[in-house]
Amino acid sequence: MADAPRPIEAPMLIEARGLSKNFGGIIAVKGLDLAVRQGELVGLIGPNGSGKTTTINLLTGHLAPAAGHILVHDAPADGLSASAFAARKVGRTFQITQLFSRMTVLENMLVPGLARAHSTWAEATRTARRHLEFLGLSHLETLQAKNLSGGQQKLLELGRALMLDPEVLFLDEPFAGVNPFLRDEIIVLIQALHAEGRSFVVVDHDIEAIQRLVQRLVVMARGQKIADGTVDEVRANQEVLRAYAGV
Amino acid sequence: MRASWIGVGWIGVGRIGVGVALGVLVLAFPSLVNAYWLTVAILALFYAIVTASWALLAGYAGQFSFGHMAFVSLGAYTSGLLVMSFGVPIPLGIAAGVVLCAVVGAGIGYICLRMRGPYLALFTVAFSEVLRIVIVSENEVTGGSGGLEVTPLFHTRSDAPYYYLGLVLLAASLGLMVWLVRSRWGLFFRAIRENQEAAAAAGVKVLRFRVLAFAITTSFAGLAGGFFGHYIGILTPDIGSVDQMGLVVAMAVIGGAENLFAATVGALLCEALVEALRSYEQWRLVLFGALLLLTIRFARNGLLALAYQALKQRGLRGLVARRAAS
Repeated sequence: MADAPRPIEAPMLIEARGLSKNFGGIIAVKGLDLAVRQGELVGLIGPNGSGKTTTINLLTGHLAPAAGHILVHDAPADGLSASAFAARKVGRTFQITQLFSRMTVLENMLVPGLARAHSTWAEATRTARRHLEFLGLSHLETLQAKNLSGGQQKLLELGRALMLDPEVLFLDEPFAGVNPFLRDEIIVLIQALHAEGRSFVVVDHDIEAIQRLVQRLVVMARGQKIADGTVDEVRANQEVLRAYAGV
Repeated sequence: MRASWIGVGWIGVGRIGVGVALGVLVLAFPSLVNAYWLTVAILALFYAIVTASWALLAGYAGQFSFGHMAFVSLGAYTSGLLVMSFGVPIPLGIAAGVVLCAVVGAGIGYICLRMRGPYLALFTVAFSEVLRIVIVSENEVTGGSGGLEVTPLFHTRSDAPYYYLGLVLLAASLGLMVWLVRSRWGLFFRAIRENQEAAAAAGVKVLRFRVLAFAITTSFAGLAGGFFGHYIGILTPDIGSVDQMGLVVAMAVIGGAENLFAATVGALLCEALVEALRSYEQWRLVLFGALLLLTIRFARNGLLALAYQALKQRGLRGLVARRAAS
């Protein structure tokens, strides 16, 4: 496989410019600038309530920004629906796993597969089975999603996002509530998918796992970006320490 | 000759036999019963179309509308008025009712886009009542509470043609609904029912498919309404009442709202049951209500789904026992 282009030279996949969102009087995100290039693996961290999930919701069309702009492949994406973001190969998982509980594992995978333009049942089923094999869920394809374990549900949600053939994937707390073995497995899966050329933005509170995984860390506090750099740069950032520990 | 030699097996032969016997019974039904029970059967077919289409909307697409009978009323009055006031041929009148119901249904689906559960139910109840009151108030056009006389579809002494037409309409409606449920649209309907946010994240155009679900299912309600109107011969605003809607919901819930066939059979059996218990007067409604309560408490997927599961379990146990014995 050819070397992936260095992120700094790679094309821009998704970009937020001056993004803001407030709920009533509470400012969730304020003036956020964030860009993700092809091949990047970005960690998005911050204390509870810092605006991480709201940022994902804004960048995937689940929330409309109060101010600012979103660009996907340098084209304006303001006001687009979540399904339109999915059609532009922007995938996501949720903080609390969101599956189609009373549908089978295979049907869960087929929904995004068949929602893609010009898709066929045969092709979608083939792709779904390939991803289920990759995730180690093949033997469960006829089971209803609600009967899976918590970890299997996390994997299925990742698989469902992969059915969009996403160029950038936002993972909201993929390690929350999973045992250390499964956590390591998820890290390996993300690394394998990243090696294929997919970009990731991973939100999690498991700093150790994030440090093992990402090349670039973005830190948010009180709805604003307070740091953006390599893991070492962020570690040395005094504002980050203050945000986390009140130092 | 042993049945298994031709690759069918005794169980298969039994199923084919039951199917053929049922088919003959259904086709010969008008000559087997008196006029009263034939009327009951025709009304049961009407309710079956309405209940199956409501099951598609509520059970598959997860949109609990309480205004489905209002669309029956809209379809019936549209056809009735076009035929009686403008001399439009009856089939064209019914088709116009279907189209109008689809358009109004799409509008209601669009307005209700962000409504779920009780809010959607309340909105559709309100729509239903508004339509009923308009029909009552505009008595110069609609005949008001006194009713609107409508030309019958067939000018025959027997109701048998209505029975066969009802059968064809039910079969065609069910065929279309099953095709829809098995298509990717059916998959998207169920995905939206399960989790709207996740469906959107998976690329499903939620707005489009919620509106489509309303438009498609209300058009079936309009078709049933047109058929009903030109059979009964007089339309009153009560067709679209909340009482009637409650009956349809009860039929679907007792049969099984998440299965088109279960909902259909539920409607046929409930209509027959209500008529069979007529001698008990008001107590039959109490019995019917008790059956509904028991179903909701002990068989949330409907009594027919429960019976099917029990038969399947028995069949599986029998199969295991036969394999163990061999």
